Amino acid sequence: MKFVDEFRDAELGRALAGEILAALEPGRHYKIMEVCGGHTHSIYKYGVDDLLPANVELVHGPGCPVCVIPMGRVDDGISLAHEPGVIFTCFGDMVRVPGSNQSLLDAKAQGADVRIVYSPLDALRIAKQNPDLEIVFFAIGFETTAPSTALTLRRAKAEHVGNFSVMCSHVTIVPPLRALLESPDLRLDGFIGPGHVATVVGARPFQFLPDQYGKPVAISGFEPLDLLQSVLMVLRQLADGRAEVENQYARVVPWEGNVRALEIMNEVFALRPHFEWRGLGFISQSALRLSDEYAEWDAELRFSVPGVRVADPKACQCGEVLKGVIKPWECKVFGTACTPERPIGTCMVSPEGACAAYYNYGRFAREREVA
Amino acid sequence: MSGCVADHGCITCGDVAIPMRVVKIDERRRLALCADADGGRETVEIALVEPVSPEEWLLVHAGTALSRAPGQRPVAVPGPEAALA
Repeated sequence: MKFVDEFRDAELGRALAGEILAALEPGRHYKIMEVCGGHTHSIYKYGVDDLLPANVELVHGPGCPVCVIPMGRVDDGISLAHEPGVIFTCFGDMVRVPGSNQSLLDAKAQGADVRIVYSPLDALRIAKQNPDLEIVFFAIGFETTAPSTALTLRRAKAEHVGNFSVMCSHVTIVPPLRALLESPDLRLDGFIGPGHVATVVGARPFQFLPDQYGKPVAISGFEPLDLLQSVLMVLRQLADGRAEVENQYARVVPWEGNVRALEIMNEVFALRPHFEWRGLGFISQSALRLSDEYAEWDAELRFSVPGVRVADPKACQCGEVLKGVIKPWECKVFGTACTPERPIGTCMVSPEGACAAYYNYGRFAREREVA
Repeated sequence: MSGCVADHGCITCGDVAIPMRVVKIDERRRLALCADADGGRETVEIALVEPVSPEEWLLVHAGTALSRAPGQRPVAVPGPEAALA
């Protein structure tokens, strides 16, 4: 397939693995966080970690938007789905995320009209087709997905679609990274930056990582060679004593991002003062709400939502997994009580979740040869 | 187009964008009919990448084209040039 096959060449992968080995300082253990859940998925799908020496550890970051949604927020969505006359729309993975009593899929089984959509535009189309019903879209995702919601809201406004509203749970990537770096129980050497978030926001917002924390960054694409090359870029920076933002995904990511997308997001969204992240707690200015100009389409203003904070299940260690403190298989319920079929924690729900990626691709190897 | 399935990952809620070819453009609605490599078709929002032309490849996420999909190889870093040339 064009644009894909050339980034999966096994020979080139092995050559890069050799370069990585040569860039290592003997005896040093490296911890590099891949921020994005899409990267986690690719790493285990293609066995990228099997090409790395054991002393290069990839730590999985908080970049799976499903995984960071707190249980109380899921309950709020389920409450809306049960409202009479509401069609509740969301992306596929959200339907299986457990709330405190049920999931959206359970709500659907009980008669709530819950529909999976592949884009917010689909939800708007459903609204136009059902003028007598209220259509709510559960908007999740990082800056990659937020422009899509913003553009859909612009269409809803321009076309006067009054029976459409958005439960906005979009989050931003920089605040949780700061929170992680301030965490005393995590030591990281560098970061593999999220390529498609950066397509929207640019590489520039990640400059704080080298400037304020002295950490190297490589913004990365999603194919196996992209990831191997990004690991190499971070290791080379460490070997040279440099800390910079390097853009491995320059074929897509501009330094300044997509200016049009940023303008539209600025028009449609405003920062929430605080937002709760699963496992990370409340983080200031880390999520988006609809701006006053779009308040008319804000589902949280149109309907009454419980807004109750719910503690995560005690057995679930998604918080530690999201912070990279433990590996998925170190969680007490991984692969036993918690599986993709019957997830307890959100990290097992989405294929981008670290636990699901480990489980689906059989990554149970706990020892590798040390370089 | 693949959806929320474990093999492909969730294209919408993950940070995943896939290359799609522009088949037809609806200038009035500022939307494009696009096709992925498997032939799956989707109506795509093109406001962030306009103007686009038929046969162009776009990177599409959650029904929105985020950028053009260039055909170049990974950017070489000093050292493994031979590997990536």
